[in-house]
Amino acid sequence: MRSETAPPAIDDVRRLDPRAWIVGAFREFAALIAVAVTALAIGGFGTGVYFALVALGFGVVHQAVRWLTFTYTVRTDRIELRRALVGRSVKTIPIERIRGVDITAGLAHRLLGLAVVRIDAAAGGDEGVLDAVSRREAMRLRTLLLPSGADPEDHVLARAESAWLRYAPLSGAYLLTPFALAGSALGTLYNLGDEFGLISTGTMTHLGDRVVGLPRGLVLAVFAVLVLAMPLASVVVFALFNWDFTLRADGPGSVVAERGLLTRRTVTLERRRIRGVELRDNPLERVAGVVRLTALVTGLGDAEHRGTLFPTAPRSAALAVAAEVTGPRPGPLVPHPPAARTRRLTRAVGPPLALAAVALFTGPSWLAVAALLASVAAVPLGLDRHRQLGHATDGFRLTFRSGSLTRRQQIIEHPAVVGWKLRQSLFQRRAGLATLTVAVGAGGGAYDALDLAAEDALRLAGTVTPGWVTPFLADRRPEA
Amino acid sequence: MLRNPAHRVSPRAMVKWTIEHVIGGVVLTACSFGLAQWADQARWSWRFGWLPWTVAGVSLVLAAVVPYWRYRVHRWEVSSDVVYTQAGWLNREWLLVPVSRIQTVDAEQSWLERLLDLATLRISTASHEGSSELSGLPLTAATSLASELAARAHALRDDAT
Repeated sequence: MRSETAPPAIDDVRRLDPRAWIVGAFREFAALIAVAVTALAIGGFGTGVYFALVALGFGVVHQAVRWLTFTYTVRTDRIELRRALVGRSVKTIPIERIRGVDITAGLAHRLLGLAVVRIDAAAGGDEGVLDAVSRREAMRLRTLLLPSGADPEDHVLARAESAWLRYAPLSGAYLLTPFALAGSALGTLYNLGDEFGLISTGTMTHLGDRVVGLPRGLVLAVFAVLVLAMPLASVVVFALFNWDFTLRADGPGSVVAERGLLTRRTVTLERRRIRGVELRDNPLERVAGVVRLTALVTGLGDAEHRGTLFPTAPRSAALAVAAEVTGPRPGPLVPHPPAARTRRLTRAVGPPLALAAVALFTGPSWLAVAALLASVAAVPLGLDRHRQLGHATDGFRLTFRSGSLTRRQQIIEHPAVVGWKLRQSLFQRRAGLATLTVAVGAGGGAYDALDLAAEDALRLAGTVTPGWVTPFLADRRPEA
Repeated sequence: MLRNPAHRVSPRAMVKWTIEHVIGGVVLTACSFGLAQWADQARWSWRFGWLPWTVAGVSLVLAAVVPYWRYRVHRWEVSSDVVYTQAGWLNREWLLVPVSRIQTVDAEQSWLERLLDLATLRISTASHEGSSELSGLPLTAATSLASELAARAHALRDDAT
């Protein structure tokens, strides 16, 4: 399958897999079918059903025409996506600008042995989508478009263990996903039903009667069950997205992350575009000793999800992967001075305390009490936010750490730095502190080191990029 | 700490900042006057009669003080490989952008800047935060600097990002 060492001069003109339009038609009109069936069940054989059937017919024809008119060709230096119906459009993506090739396969695609290939190019979010080709063709395209050197051997860099699923409830995000999903599903149903005239004031009041008519105890019980089910649901959702997360080396040049239970998703990241990593955890995850790992990639859209190198994993495993893709983590971290603690404390306690003061004189008393409690709770938060601050460099990579409720630590390669910003507020200047922002052309674009000693900030920037900083240092500090 | 960059911005920048402050102050005062009137009519327990006066006073003081203060702080320098700027008044900001990482250089003029023959130089890199804005330069200086920087960035450009 990968016997070709160099891409052929000109590949033949190809079409998407013929089975693709079945999937497309089915997926786009699954909702319509559902509505037709519901309409049939509720209102008998009425206009709603006819509309749905006609729309379905149009949809199938549309999909078939799309399939007939779309072709793609791989040439030595580019891939061309051609669509010719009434007008013609050719999208050309130069191979040297391709930054990633993602292969996704939903449930229907997997049953038919198909996959969607998404070609990511340059910074403008410009991408080409092939929906869908056979799985073999997807693999072939990936090797053609992302030449990863002579070594065709795939070897597994890291693999998530299924026991790690138990960490899913610790990260707050997955706890709420079931509710978000339920909400959006209800919204879609309502809109569809509304369009087909199923929803009238009659049915709605009927529904209202039913809900209101339910005994309060039952409603409470349902709510309690939902809340108790949250951890379980979060494990399920986490598994849906991240089942069997596997990180492979695809030759020396790229890293491939594969994951998902029903929809299997493959993201290919070029190693030379991975300019660093970010480790993230919250207090619960810190207690459990697990961490989330993301790559900081140049010019990657939706980097938050696609740059994932480990959805959640024990620290040692995550650090091993971080070391594999960027190198060892610099350390030990230099703590930030005591003046920074005062600043973190003021920032954490100040707002609730101010609210308490205002509420004490003019607002309701419960608000004053709540705000007072919040300001007491903010003390350990402020202290921890200072304790977590730190920075370091080892001559090749620099690292910043900050945050408490979400603690983030970035490890960034020195050559990825594209600029420095140093900021000093009035209060920082009086305390001899400064905030150093490193601008990088990858990931979030910029990362802050909060409240360093001003001298440390310049020393750090000067160590990373001596040529850019030392010419501008003051010879001697005018005041102590 | 860092030393001051070599060049000041044009003194005409003070005029620009003053006009901006005055316009902003007038708008804010008008809004707070409207709010005070509305609060009077709505018979709130709170009275805002003092608000427009305070806003007007503070705006006036800021318009008188801040432009000169800014002029003392704002400085810039282009060395052989770094664009170094210093900005702010109460809070200070120093920015170091290496010429080799510059992607685009734009010289822009707002209506106010056209009246005063000033321009703003926008230097952008692959990172939004690493992008520098040099306002209050004389137009001729800004355009020549823009073309010079663009040429040098092209020559020095490396494939870092």
